[in-house]
Amino acid sequence: MEGSSVFLLCLTASSGVPLYCRSKRSSRQLTFSVIGSLNGVHMFANNQDVLLTSTRTENSRVLWRTFHESINLIVMSCDSNASDHSLNRLLENVFSTMVLVIGLDDLMNIKNVERLKKDLRACYKLIDSFLTESEKIGDLTQCVDCVISNDSVILQECLDGFTQAAESEFGCLLIGGKVVVATEKWWRLASLDAMLLCWLVSSLSPHSSRDYPVYLPQGSPTVPHRLLTFQLVPGVDVCILCGPSPSLQKVELELVERFWKPVLDPVKSCLRLQLRSFPISLNLHQGILGFLLINRDLNKSLYTVQVHPFEDTQRSDIKCILEHRRASLRSFYTLTMLRYFSPEHHDGKIQYEEAFPEGFTHQAHQCYVVSSSHKCYATKTDLHFLFLLFKTNVPTFSMRAIANKTMQVFTKEFNF
Amino acid sequence: MHQASFPKPGSLIIPDWHQNAEGGEYLSCILRKRKRRMFGLIEQPVLPPQLPFDIASYKIFVCGKSGVGKTALISKLCGLEVPSVHHETTGIQTSRVYWPVRPRDSQRPVIFCFQLWDCGESALKKFDHILLACKEKADAVLFLFSFTDRSSFEDVPALISRTLSQDEDPARVVIGTRFDQFMHTDVTDQDVGLFQQTWQLPVMRVRSVNGPRLSDGISLDGRIELLDAAPVLNGLAEILWHRDQITAGLLASDV
Repeated sequence: MEGSSVFLLCLTASSGVPLYCRSKRSSRQLTFSVIGSLNGVHMFANNQDVLLTSTRTENSRVLWRTFHESINLIVMSCDSNASDHSLNRLLENVFSTMVLVIGLDDLMNIKNVERLKKDLRACYKLIDSFLTESEKIGDLTQCVDCVISNDSVILQECLDGFTQAAESEFGCLLIGGKVVVATEKWWRLASLDAMLLCWLVSSLSPHSSRDYPVYLPQGSPTVPHRLLTFQLVPGVDVCILCGPSPSLQKVELELVERFWKPVLDPVKSCLRLQLRSFPISLNLHQGILGFLLINRDLNKSLYTVQVHPFEDTQRSDIKCILEHRRASLRSFYTLTMLRYFSPEHHDGKIQYEEAFPEGFTHQAHQCYVVSSSHKCYATKTDLHFLFLLFKTNVPTFSMRAIANKTMQVFTKEFNF
Repeated sequence: MHQASFPKPGSLIIPDWHQNAEGGEYLSCILRKRKRRMFGLIEQPVLPPQLPFDIASYKIFVCGKSGVGKTALISKLCGLEVPSVHHETTGIQTSRVYWPVRPRDSQRPVIFCFQLWDCGESALKKFDHILLACKEKADAVLFLFSFTDRSSFEDVPALISRTLSQDEDPARVVIGTRFDQFMHTDVTDQDVGLFQQTWQLPVMRVRSVNGPRLSDGISLDGRIELLDAAPVLNGLAEILWHRDQITAGLLASDV
């Protein structure tokens, strides 16, 4: 297998018929015999009452998951940054995507494999975005990626009015799949559902409006809802989740202009937030390269690796640098969450990594890592997790103070 | 009742207007740096005050059997990438295309805003509201067939009666897609001519391939894409303009 390629396979669990195969950074397709062997070994183990979950070779990892005894997903990754945790998240996201688009019923009772294969093509864009996405981190955190706008008060007012006029309670304003503002009820959707809806909208090719049937994997996996999306300006969409009424045409013609035209400038200015995720007027410590802030109550997150965008644009190898920062922050997040901040509940799920606190009665509240290229620091409070990525010249002893100050800025001043 | 007549191409608008100096200036409002300019729902083309214009919006429902190339046609008209692999459109998606036209009888140029409604076949079958939503107040319905699939061509009359009832009266236009694949053509010019005679409906032909790219190798050349799409956009504009004139009583219906 090539460099850091990832292969994703989907098969029916009962007969092992391949439904699709997606890949990242690979021009080659997996041969039928490889697909057959990967599925075969899982099936063999299954017949011996052994649950095969993962294996590792020198340069790759393979994970298996069966969903509802109907769909098998297999991922094979040569990406050195991948962990069992991140690959498991990938498989969960991919299956949830299938539910979102097809509905759970048709996945659990497969009547016509060829038909299902055809229908599943509608999931490819969203699945591929989970394989390749870089600007967002919701795939790993299963939280909703957000941006902070200076105009959020006026946009929130607009959105609330618009959503209400459209006979819905669930509305959000999205820029490149990140939430600028959302209605109160939107934040009460299951975080996986809300995250998937945002990723769905950003993965689809641009359209003026859509009336897209969606099954919410957590909230409503068998009864579809309608997701209406309206492109206010290219890159900015407003979405509402609703039942049978109102019609797309009605909302588009009667409500979109009425509510949103007066705020054209604030809407357009959202586009400037895309990379940094927060306004340019806000200065953070010079030593911070990137961060991830998670609101644990609303399951929303603020994520960027371009805290000082002007500094970055002057560098020629910026793409590489950003990729390295993203990989560092992602693996630090995974390490911290699994080893030190292990969430209170495991929902009876299988533990994929050895946990740190075995034998300890206390839980870690802060942790840091120092490497040759970066320093990382994480802190947790009742309501938030904060993960920071620092330049190496930041003194280790000062990271806690900077972290506390950064936390203050976002939670107190911006109420995140 | 459905009006049988459609205007002779070029009788109501100046067909190659966008290639002369005045048309070129108007065309520039839908281009930016040689790429197609995209507009959100709360935006519209902007032109300097010395170039006056009116905007006329039309809702157009695009229908045809699965895989015939509805989404590809719309991508082509919008200046977006034609999808390389087919998958059925989920639900409804709409796209706006702005197109400046010079009607012969109008004082100033008119920018047509076509709202193209696209939906996948399985969504149509699965959810009742979709067909109704697409037809609601539509000004025109495009019935698509593929030049490489004879059955889709033969099905057009049935498709029309399946989609529209007797008392619905949007303009009806038939469009043949994949006209580029002449090696695999399954429908001849003669067939099309005969069809046009029998049913008295306008038939247009489109190529369903991406045009050349700009020097970056990624973006499509907006100007060339537009010239490619011009015959269809002009054709639609003329048919809709004609329909408006009849509705307004400015034109007898047998032109």
